[in-house]
Amino acid sequence: MNAFSMYAARESGLHSLHPLTKILMTLLLVAAGLALPGNWTGYFIVVFIIFPLAFWGRVFLNLLSTTWKVSLPFAISVILIQSFFWGEGTPIFEIGVLSPKWEGAMFAAVSMGKIILVMSGFLLFSMTTRPDTLMITLKQAGVPSSIAYIIVTTLQIVPSFQRKALTILDAQRSRGLETEGNLYVRARAFIPIILPLVLGSLMEVEERAIAIESRGFNSGKKETSLIEIPDTPLQKVIRRVILFGIFAFIVFGVLWRL
Amino acid sequence: MAFVILKDLAYQYPSSTGLVLENISLQIQEGEFVSIIGPNGAGKSTLCYALAGFVPHFFKGEISGEVEVDGRKSSESTLDEWALNVGLAFQNPFNQISGAKYTVFEEIAFGLENIGVPRDEMKKRVEDAMSLTGISDLADRSPYSLSGGQQQRVALTSILVMRPRLLVLDEPTSQMDPVGTREVFGVVRKMAEEGMTVVMVEHKVEWIANFADRVIALKDGQILIEGKPNEVLTSDLLIENGFGISRYTSAAREARKRGLWKKEKLPVTLDEAVEGFKS
Repeated sequence: MNAFSMYAARESGLHSLHPLTKILMTLLLVAAGLALPGNWTGYFIVVFIIFPLAFWGRVFLNLLSTTWKVSLPFAISVILIQSFFWGEGTPIFEIGVLSPKWEGAMFAAVSMGKIILVMSGFLLFSMTTRPDTLMITLKQAGVPSSIAYIIVTTLQIVPSFQRKALTILDAQRSRGLETEGNLYVRARAFIPIILPLVLGSLMEVEERAIAIESRGFNSGKKETSLIEIPDTPLQKVIRRVILFGIFAFIVFGVLWRL
Repeated sequence: MAFVILKDLAYQYPSSTGLVLENISLQIQEGEFVSIIGPNGAGKSTLCYALAGFVPHFFKGEISGEVEVDGRKSSESTLDEWALNVGLAFQNPFNQISGAKYTVFEEIAFGLENIGVPRDEMKKRVEDAMSLTGISDLADRSPYSLSGGQQQRVALTSILVMRPRLLVLDEPTSQMDPVGTREVFGVVRKMAEEGMTVVMVEHKVEWIANFADRVIALKDGQILIEGKPNEVLTSDLLIENGFGISRYTSAAREARKRGLWKKEKLPVTLDEAVEGFKS
């Protein structure tokens, strides 16, 4: 429904959970993945906890493809850098000075597990949480409204940026800019696309500031909210438990590494 | 005493070299519907920003003279206080969408949430405002899925719902079709009749002639001419200064040269033209 947000409108148990419960759940999984020993813990949590959760939230394919698209460039660069710049180890091959090492590639794969965990966790959260309910939740939790606004609008900025970039791309193409061909042609096309995108976004920020100011954003009055976010006593208890869990994982993670 | 008073207003943006507004003195009565016309770069938007307090509070820059609304001076007020009395909607509707709301209904309620209106009253006010501007059927749509004209209506409604005493509109119909434009002018006229003071920048002179109480023509940051719509919009001064005039005015001017237009006053609207050519 909303082309400018990652949110995927579905009817599911996960969608109907209170946003705070979901944030804490995400943080718990991330904390667990980073604190628990074992090289493959991150992957394990992604496959055996996040993926089933995504099934429950009916966004599994969505999550899989987005996580794949976002982490692939990361993975490639991390693996290249780690393997080529690894000091001593077993070479994968050797061509002159170039000799990537197995150990480096391995290390990169292990690090990627953590990155993928964090990414898929937060993607799952934003796919199953309406941005506006998140904003209300944050404000109720005592986050200042300007910070809450920034967090929520930032979550939506990626799709909005993509759409704008495509519009600019089309506009420049229709004026004869070559965007396809070899690396040089593509690189040259980069500036006429990125410049309007960045400048346009800066102007947009100014106008948006004016628009929300006109609508009493800084009025200093006690805010109210149009929609009520359903919460249950059970979830309140669960949140306490999760909070304790996060704390426990952090303590465990620190002690275990001492 | 006038509701809006501008006294010798002059203003320069921090980054610009010349004055953007110069010697602007103006009085607007409560409930008056004033329309501002002028070519690009005449200072129309800057004047809107000055009325809404963004000049100088937001844009900084150098200002002299006074902006006074309802007996209070903009220079002695903060932007946040000012915004409670003066509402501004501008041209680009896309950037007026808060980006934090999922449906049009919630988007319009955003301002009311900010000023702490209780939930039941909020719903009522949003529903009323939406039916006033004729967008009730858009309530459950995403604000981003709308057309430009629809978004402009949402932006206008989002400000109307705040019930400002002074409503400042900077080209609010630029992306609308004729039907939408007429409806917006109708709504604005109605608000003015209910006591809201309206300042509206517009290019569509036929609609201005039909609906506004007064027209102010700006050029190079100064008031070129002001007065009743029919007088201002048919004045030779506008043509000499390169303003766009109504096609009916142009036609009647040509007709007058050939002795086909007998009346002294030139028409701005279709009705006036029809009537004039009949006689």
